[in-house]
Amino acid sequence: MSWNRVAVVGGGLIRFGELFDQSYETMAHGAFSAAVASVDKGFEPRQVEAAIVATQRGTLWGQEGIGGNTVPSAIGLAGVPCTRVENACPSGSDAFRIGAMVVASGVHDVVLVIGVEKMRDKSTDEGLLSRAAAGHPIYNRAETAPVLFAPFATRHMHEFGTTREMLASVAVKNHHNGTLDPYAHFQSEITVEQVLASPPVCHPLHLLDCCPQTDGAAAVILVSAERAREFTDKPVWVAGFGVATDHPYLHEKSTFTGLPVTTAAAERAYAMAGVGPDQIDMAEVHDCFTITEILDIEDLGFVEKGKGGVASLEGETAIGGRIPVNPSGGLLSKGHPIGATGVAQITECYWQLRGEVGERQVEIRHGNALQHNVGGRGSGVSVVNILTVNP
Amino acid sequence: MSEPSSDCVEAAPVGLVGVGAALPSGRLAVADVAAGWDLTGGRGQLAVCGPDEDSLTLAWSAAGRALAAAGVEAGEVGGLWWGTARPPMAEGPSLAFLVAAVGLGTSSGGLLAGGSVHAGMDALVAAWDAVAAGSVATALVIASDALVPGPGTGAEKSSGAGAVALVLSGRPAGARLVARATRVRPLLDRYRGDGQAGTGDPYDPRLYRERELIPSVASAATALGDRVPAGTRWSVPDPDGRLGKAVAKAVRAEAVASEGVFARVGDTGSAAPFLGALAALAAPGPVCMVGTGGGRSTAVLLEVRSPVPGADLALTALDGGSRGTRPVTYASVLRSRGQLVPLADPVPMGVPPGSAAFVRGSEELLSLEGRRCSACGTIAVPPSIHPVCIACGNDSGELVHLARSGTVQTFVVNHTMPPPFEAPLPIAVVDLDDGSRVMLQGMPEDAVALAIGDRVDLELRRYALERGVPVYGFKVSRRIDQNGGPPGGSANGANGAAASAPSGLTGARKERS
Repeated sequence: MSWNRVAVVGGGLIRFGELFDQSYETMAHGAFSAAVASVDKGFEPRQVEAAIVATQRGTLWGQEGIGGNTVPSAIGLAGVPCTRVENACPSGSDAFRIGAMVVASGVHDVVLVIGVEKMRDKSTDEGLLSRAAAGHPIYNRAETAPVLFAPFATRHMHEFGTTREMLASVAVKNHHNGTLDPYAHFQSEITVEQVLASPPVCHPLHLLDCCPQTDGAAAVILVSAERAREFTDKPVWVAGFGVATDHPYLHEKSTFTGLPVTTAAAERAYAMAGVGPDQIDMAEVHDCFTITEILDIEDLGFVEKGKGGVASLEGETAIGGRIPVNPSGGLLSKGHPIGATGVAQITECYWQLRGEVGERQVEIRHGNALQHNVGGRGSGVSVVNILTVNP
Repeated sequence: MSEPSSDCVEAAPVGLVGVGAALPSGRLAVADVAAGWDLTGGRGQLAVCGPDEDSLTLAWSAAGRALAAAGVEAGEVGGLWWGTARPPMAEGPSLAFLVAAVGLGTSSGGLLAGGSVHAGMDALVAAWDAVAAGSVATALVIASDALVPGPGTGAEKSSGAGAVALVLSGRPAGARLVARATRVRPLLDRYRGDGQAGTGDPYDPRLYRERELIPSVASAATALGDRVPAGTRWSVPDPDGRLGKAVAKAVRAEAVASEGVFARVGDTGSAAPFLGALAALAAPGPVCMVGTGGGRSTAVLLEVRSPVPGADLALTALDGGSRGTRPVTYASVLRSRGQLVPLADPVPMGVPPGSAAFVRGSEELLSLEGRRCSACGTIAVPPSIHPVCIACGNDSGELVHLARSGTVQTFVVNHTMPPPFEAPLPIAVVDLDDGSRVMLQGMPEDAVALAIGDRVDLELRRYALERGVPVYGFKVSRRIDQNGGPPGGSANGANGAAASAPSGLTGARKERS
């Protein structure tokens, strides 16, 4: 299958957090403006030929009826073709993949991918799955978001001797990274002891094993290879992507020590990019809970199955470690405004590959970065995107 | 109009082939109730429902035990005769829900008797007649109640909860129902008007004792006349723990099997005459049990030649069975009864009980249905969301009823949920014994001990009152004796490991606050 090469030429986001004074629309405008301003050789908003918007929970947050029109109107692009993508927690990742395919197809040369999510316009009681109402109307009652991941922690601990300290080390690392990221929701260090002593949320996960509920928006600009030099001399290329699905309910999972859906998505992305996990310089992965990052780094092939906890405890995934993971602070510290999350991760990969993030810069040896999300009911969807600076 | 030929009905005897009982594990100290009203005193304890229990869930538990004791499959039962003063839906499909959950099938006969705590006796008499008439071969009778006294009433210090199920059969049996008598007088005892939530006790206690309880019970009992042999063991009404003695004297009972039952569980309403008879059913000899309520009293004479199957196990239920009992506070009981409610409405579920998705989901969960693939045998759960096999994609399959026991594959303990859920709430993925797998809520009392590999049983519980409608489903209950079959034995010590484990050990050990 042949496809036209796609370049990322700009990316930006707003500071994530509880943005009580910002609307869905003002967040979108802020992210778009940041992306426009980031383009090396300048960018006119009207150069956008088409847009893909990622918003996951529109109906839950009271924004019923969000289609493709809300964001173009808010950012001064009313009239531009625009489609909303909803694909669970990987909505932003998948919007990026779809945006890349639009450019790769040759139909449009300049495409905006923008993720926007308003999580805090409703109380946390009504927050993501805390209504305990997702899935089957009766079977799945009381299944709040942590219930979708904590069973994997219980089983991973049971089979591999993974400890709560190992889980905690993921939170400690990502909160440290967050202190180096001006866009992160949380910007303070935490200790293993604090994680262990934090209140239980969903055994074996405690409060600091969990990501917060965060408002945010992020945007990237994709262009065709022929047009890339109009905008920058340092383009970052889309090397490959993969998406995979699995049964949505936990009682239908083949294993509770990993997410095969992530492995399947990664295999597709690695094959398309022609690289393997040992050629990835850094990764932004889905760490909605500490256990999720441990599963991710195993399922993506960075560490052997069962060794994710030990690798995290020993610093292999820290900035400066063997495979730096979530230098932006990840979902745990930067936050998880669902539709924006994947797009913000892409932005971090773009900046890292261009060497633009100061203190949290990782060493770029192979020129490849990986971005990953997993989610949906029972982690039924995973998306992996790989970016490269290699021509 | 002709005179009745006799004071007593000698219906064709029918066999009593199995009995089962269920009581909630919660025990409320009567002194706590008194203290709630700035009063001192109050002795004894009451068996009270938790937030996920009611008359229907207790009835379900008792039914399963009675059928198991009788060695009768649910499919062999012709109908369910259920007596309760507190059907969970005052108007609604209470009986149909229970029929579905017990697995009696869509052609089940029977009735729901209510209106007073005499309802258990009404159910028994009606089932007896149905079996005697030959319209059913086997009948399931359940007497259950979870009384809800009005706050501040005297009944608050006596109201308990419990259920007894009996399996009646037209076949010869070691125990038989042989005679009965009922007496009716238009007297008021307890009272709850239409639209009222709590039951009140309007009469002066002595007026009730002298003018209602004792004369009514005595007239029904004496109507049996000399059919009551010497050595008969009696179960007599004892609605406050003291009246039982006076009643026993009035009916000239020599042996009182029901003595001491009130002290352990309180007044269990419709279930009381049956719970009081359990000790007698466990040993050979004649038995007479008397129930009263709503101006009516019924005395039933039984001939027990050999112990009724299940009676011994049912007796242990009075003290909580293998699971034991646990103290609960007056405030938590008020919350469970819906008498102490927060100002804020609970967050409504996404799918209201009146919707089509809910109706589909409710039926398949009550009946615990799965879809077995005709190609590879994999069971997908639940059927409504699985038109094809989850393993091979084949679209032909048959409806099956899932196994009721299994092994924990993995689990969590949820500590943060909006109302109506109460923490800590275990949620477990369970490999059922038929090879299917489910994910269900667990019991709060299992939050600490639950572990991967544990044997568990499925029990019907009330998940919530959703927009005022009770929602039922199965929950996972950790088997106390991990090495044996259902109930008996002691805990396996996982708790001890948890208590002494330093923080941060592996998942096999717990430290849950």
